[in-house]
Amino acid sequence: MQCNYCERRCDLSGGKPGVCRMYEDADGAIRERFPHHWSSCIPSRIESIPFYHVRPGSRALVIGTMGCNFSCRYCSNAFIAKEDPTLVAERMLRLSPSEVVRKARQMGCGSIVFNVNEPAMSFPSLLELAEAARAEGISLGCLTNAYTTEESTEMLASIFSFFNIGLKGLSPAFNRDFIGITSVEPILRNIRRLAATRHVEVTTPIIESINDNELGEMARFLADVDPEIPWHVFRLLPEDEMKESCYPDIETIAGALESVRSILPYVYFHNFVGSEWVNTHCPGCGALVIERFSLGCGGDKLKSFHCAGQGCQDCGRQIRLAGDVECAWKHGEVQR
Amino acid sequence: MSRAIIDAREWQKVFDLRTGTAKADTSPLDQMVRAVQERHPYPGDLDSAGNRWVTDTALDLMERYDPSFVFLTYAQQYFSGRYSIQTDADRAAAVTAVYEEVERFVAQSGFTPLIVGTGGMIPLLASVDLTRLDGLALCTHWSARYAGLHDPSPRDLRTVASHPEIERIVTREEFLSLFRDCPADAARIPEYLLVARQGCMFKTVGGAFRKVRKVPAPGYSIPVSACLEEVSDSTDVRAAVEKRLRNGRVALIFVEGLGVEDFPWPYRAIDNGREWFFYETGDAQYLTVTTGRHQVFEYPVGYRYFEEDGPAMEFPFSGYFRSVPEDAIAASFGGRSIAVGNRSMFMHMATGADISLECFARNLYNQGTMAVIHRSDKA
Repeated sequence: MQCNYCERRCDLSGGKPGVCRMYEDADGAIRERFPHHWSSCIPSRIESIPFYHVRPGSRALVIGTMGCNFSCRYCSNAFIAKEDPTLVAERMLRLSPSEVVRKARQMGCGSIVFNVNEPAMSFPSLLELAEAARAEGISLGCLTNAYTTEESTEMLASIFSFFNIGLKGLSPAFNRDFIGITSVEPILRNIRRLAATRHVEVTTPIIESINDNELGEMARFLADVDPEIPWHVFRLLPEDEMKESCYPDIETIAGALESVRSILPYVYFHNFVGSEWVNTHCPGCGALVIERFSLGCGGDKLKSFHCAGQGCQDCGRQIRLAGDVECAWKHGEVQR
Repeated sequence: MSRAIIDAREWQKVFDLRTGTAKADTSPLDQMVRAVQERHPYPGDLDSAGNRWVTDTALDLMERYDPSFVFLTYAQQYFSGRYSIQTDADRAAAVTAVYEEVERFVAQSGFTPLIVGTGGMIPLLASVDLTRLDGLALCTHWSARYAGLHDPSPRDLRTVASHPEIERIVTREEFLSLFRDCPADAARIPEYLLVARQGCMFKTVGGAFRKVRKVPAPGYSIPVSACLEEVSDSTDVRAAVEKRLRNGRVALIFVEGLGVEDFPWPYRAIDNGREWFFYETGDAQYLTVTTGRHQVFEYPVGYRYFEEDGPAMEFPFSGYFRSVPEDAIAASFGGRSIAVGNRSMFMHMATGADISLECFARNLYNQGTMAVIHRSDKA
């Protein structure tokens, strides 16, 4: 019995657990082992997640489950993503789809975003949640590693209307040694697929001297997919197996990113307090159109917004923005 | 203008504390503080060197600023107790380690120490799940014992009333009445405050997922140094510190996660709240000690904190704080003062010290350090 949710395509026959340990063979069908178990249900500024080009200044309900199909050596959430789900399950929040939606409403969240681990771990629950959220006019987004099969990528597209996809590295050696996968090709394929019909931002965690040499190549790939795709380069603070590793040098990475700004107009560098590379400038005239503030692990936030609708106030050029932008912040709170 | 200096390891930046706007200020005082930060990268909340960082950083800063009042917080044993599996021997070793660090500071600084234990820790026995209520239950401030309940249905009230692990249900009016001498914005206070039984903690939406091993022990009384004979309540500590500051140099030292049962110095047990309410460690307890008056409603436990977190929010580096307390102990002290600690990013507000230097970590993720300079005119 093969699981076809992700490109691992694990054999679950005979009670085998698979890499993520989140699905099982139930008389010839793939069954989710822990439906509607949530590790997280917390309101967040949407910039903190991060989404910089979706409903700026809005509040989202961040949810997550447990388990992962990657084995990132530097994982920041190993206590959720790498733990045996059977040991973690009793601590999870058990909320039905309608209860999750109600919590979002109660906390003034205009969207629900799957974060923390990988949405492919919980497809059946998320399909039900999407239905309940849609009925209430709440949109869903997610962070994903996009290591899904073509069929399940379509499922992702049916559930979520905006994505932040992790593109961690391109080289086979990096993906094998640091992520534990054999090929990046499915991820590249799925970035292309999802960006074709959905709002997509991309995040790359940088490990100095490990994957920073690929910044140019990644930028060119992304520009080929969508020349205005927003790209978040994260200063990775290694955890788990790489906890003792050095933090990437900020000036070195910032310098390396200068050369890719001519390739992509929306390049950000953050995950450290006080980053000055979190603002959006108009690709047409260079005017500051969205100003943000970064608290690193404390999350990012909108500081000021200078668009007229979805266009630059100065030259009128369209700025990449998704969602109901006009309703996304409280008038009077944002410095215009 | 108060300013914050962020040190994210090999990268520093100066900001206006209130607005978060980047500043180019490079005064000699700033340069001195920046150099101290460079020399003392924070090892992390769970790292055994976390408390050594407090002593080393404080001594370094004192050598260059020559303060008369020092506020210190040692918290490594609190974080490891809360999140790590500890045997009794591990716990005893952690207490010994923090004792030795405090003693090292006292010996090398020559300051008169006034030491406060913020309350002990006991194993977590049970979680009280409030996530499925019709209303909204919220825990804030890393609280285990208290949760706010907003907009409850009649069914919710029946559920919590019959829950065996809930010790008390307090209406907003009852809570306000208990601290009727404290200024309060009643609208920010939850309709009900739920109080968990000993050893239990609430589980609500908005909570962090890390597995908690220990929670605050019943902390109706907390220990302070035995020399503080005139002190019987946490609101008395400030006056005792000020009295001693008239005659010499004083260090007020908070030792997190230690209560009367394991405080390693001769101590006096003092009140840490009122009637059924006791402070868990956190900004309200700090503020109560540093201002000399109860501070339960400034940032009330279980409040809808996220509603105040808009783009116009000021003091972005200061956690829940939305203004600088005017009457914190160091703010009204005429001499020079510093604060150093590894508890959280609220010490600079709770103490009002001329210079504060604290870890910048959240949910155990280590982002470096932050120094706050409230006063440059004393340098």
